[in-house]
Amino acid sequence: MGKIGLTTTVPMEVIYAAGDIPVDLNNIFITSPEATKRVEEAELAGYPRNVCGWIKGLYSTALLNPEIRRIVAVTQGDCSNTHALMETWAVQGIEIIPFAFPYDRDRDMLRLQMDKFIQAMGTTWEDVNAQKGRLDQIRALVWEMDRLTWEENKVSGFENHLYQVSCSDFNGDPEGFVAAMEAFLAEARQREPFPERLRVRAKTGKRKEIRVGFIGVPPIMPDLYDFLEEQGARVVFNEVQRQFTMPFDTEDIVEQYRRYTYPYSVFERIGDIAREAKKRNLDGIIHYVQSFCYRQIEDMIMRKKLDYPILTLEGENPTGLDARSKIRLESFLEMLRD
Amino acid sequence: MRDLLCGVDLGSRSVKIAVMEAGTDDEPGRIVRLEKVDTIAFYRNYGRKQGDKLVVDFAGLGLDAVEMLVSTGYGRNTLELAGGEAIPELKAHVLGAVHQTGLKDFTLIDLGGQDSKIIQVRRGRMQDFLTNDKCAASSGRYLENMAHVLGMSLEELGCHIEDPVELSSTCAVFGESELIGQIVEGRPLPQLAAGVNATIVRRVLPLLRNFPGETLVFTGGVAHNSAVRILLAQQTRREVMVPPEPQFNGAIGCCVYGQRQRE
Repeated sequence: MGKIGLTTTVPMEVIYAAGDIPVDLNNIFITSPEATKRVEEAELAGYPRNVCGWIKGLYSTALLNPEIRRIVAVTQGDCSNTHALMETWAVQGIEIIPFAFPYDRDRDMLRLQMDKFIQAMGTTWEDVNAQKGRLDQIRALVWEMDRLTWEENKVSGFENHLYQVSCSDFNGDPEGFVAAMEAFLAEARQREPFPERLRVRAKTGKRKEIRVGFIGVPPIMPDLYDFLEEQGARVVFNEVQRQFTMPFDTEDIVEQYRRYTYPYSVFERIGDIAREAKKRNLDGIIHYVQSFCYRQIEDMIMRKKLDYPILTLEGENPTGLDARSKIRLESFLEMLRD
Repeated sequence: MRDLLCGVDLGSRSVKIAVMEAGTDDEPGRIVRLEKVDTIAFYRNYGRKQGDKLVVDFAGLGLDAVEMLVSTGYGRNTLELAGGEAIPELKAHVLGAVHQTGLKDFTLIDLGGQDSKIIQVRRGRMQDFLTNDKCAASSGRYLENMAHVLGMSLEELGCHIEDPVELSSTCAVFGESELIGQIVEGRPLPQLAAGVNATIVRRVLPLLRNFPGETLVFTGGVAHNSAVRILLAQQTRREVMVPPEPQFNGAIGCCVYGQRQRE
């Protein structure tokens, strides 16, 4: 049983079916108190300054975890920086297992990719499908947590982010994750809803909670969520994090990874965002973009197609929310409040 | 004597202070005093941190006791002025521009020391905005650096508009070496200065694209540059209005906010 590194979400059912443990390198990188140091280490190794902070963080994080000998790298459906990332790892002796999400969401191509992945991992479709059944039960707990966030208003934006983002690998310990999730749900259900708490705290007694949607890759500065809540706004929709929970009603694992929006065109994502924004009654949307990321270009399309006030927020390194971003967030909320 | 309201805009390059005599039902508030202090000097000589608040030595600044203090600006999130209320920067700028121009519908363009802001104002309220993010290009700091390289005052720099030299970099640091290269080539100073001004406008135009409207209200220190003013009007084909005190717009907006709180 070995640890298999991931650069982004892939059909992890395959890894569990092979008896191995998936480790999402993004999660180890960003939860480390030394995250900034990881970026610096990659720059010292020669990574250019004007490259995504996540790529640099992943590079050093994998090298610091020598028990990870194999990494699944997404060669289509994520950025081309990942290609060079794989190559620099390969030079360091790490085995790379490539996986490609076909851009046109072609069912046969995706099935073929999964077939190759299953062979590379030495498992079978039967075992993979069994793992889907097992993991879907865990995912259902996270879907309930998400519902408690937007419908009952009992879960914070950060908690929503954290539990959903953990679904990219279930922290390598699905049973442990279930226990944590069940305890959390029991506790959260007892809570007083956020808007009521806000009303009690506000002097005027009339202040309304602002409902914000967060779209784009998970933020490199998660303190964003608490800052928003201090300002009387709460994230009730985390777009990509929610996609990690595979919130699709299907028994078919190929279909599941076809419906997963993140690796395909921006238009799939926009459809999903528009549906959820309406359902969750959003007041405004924060589009998070990573410095130097190609997805910054897609901001143009998001602004055109989504009929909501949008703030585009850029993050570069894991150094926390800076003063300028705070000013921009504050002004955005002020505008939504008016 | 009427009560005095004080507005403080903690900018990245300078701290702007406006003092307003509180208005009455018949008469709006009147600005009686404006002061500008270099940011570093302000914190070093007149500011003192007490707990997590900043206590300002207003007597040292030569300001009388004020009844109400409202602050805004860059320092707002890190430092809150003791004895006052802090308001978001963009809000202060909208209030200031509405007060100074008497307009209700316009696009506000504020080019400050490090920040560029574009705010769409409808019926006197902020409707949408854009600000620069990771880069201080097109800001006052770039102009300051370039004026220094050219050995000109900011006023003189702002007079040149004809035959601009093509400059590719708006980076406040790399711009210097590019300009030096052009000086070596023997390009005349007025053309270089015109190039610097044109660069600022080129950088701002894409931000303005999504904000339609007839009138641009131009504030911040860069609004003192007449070449940028003219180029903005020419290239956007809109009327550009610079209020009487472009640099004090945020501080004045703080006073206006204070006045409203009293009512």
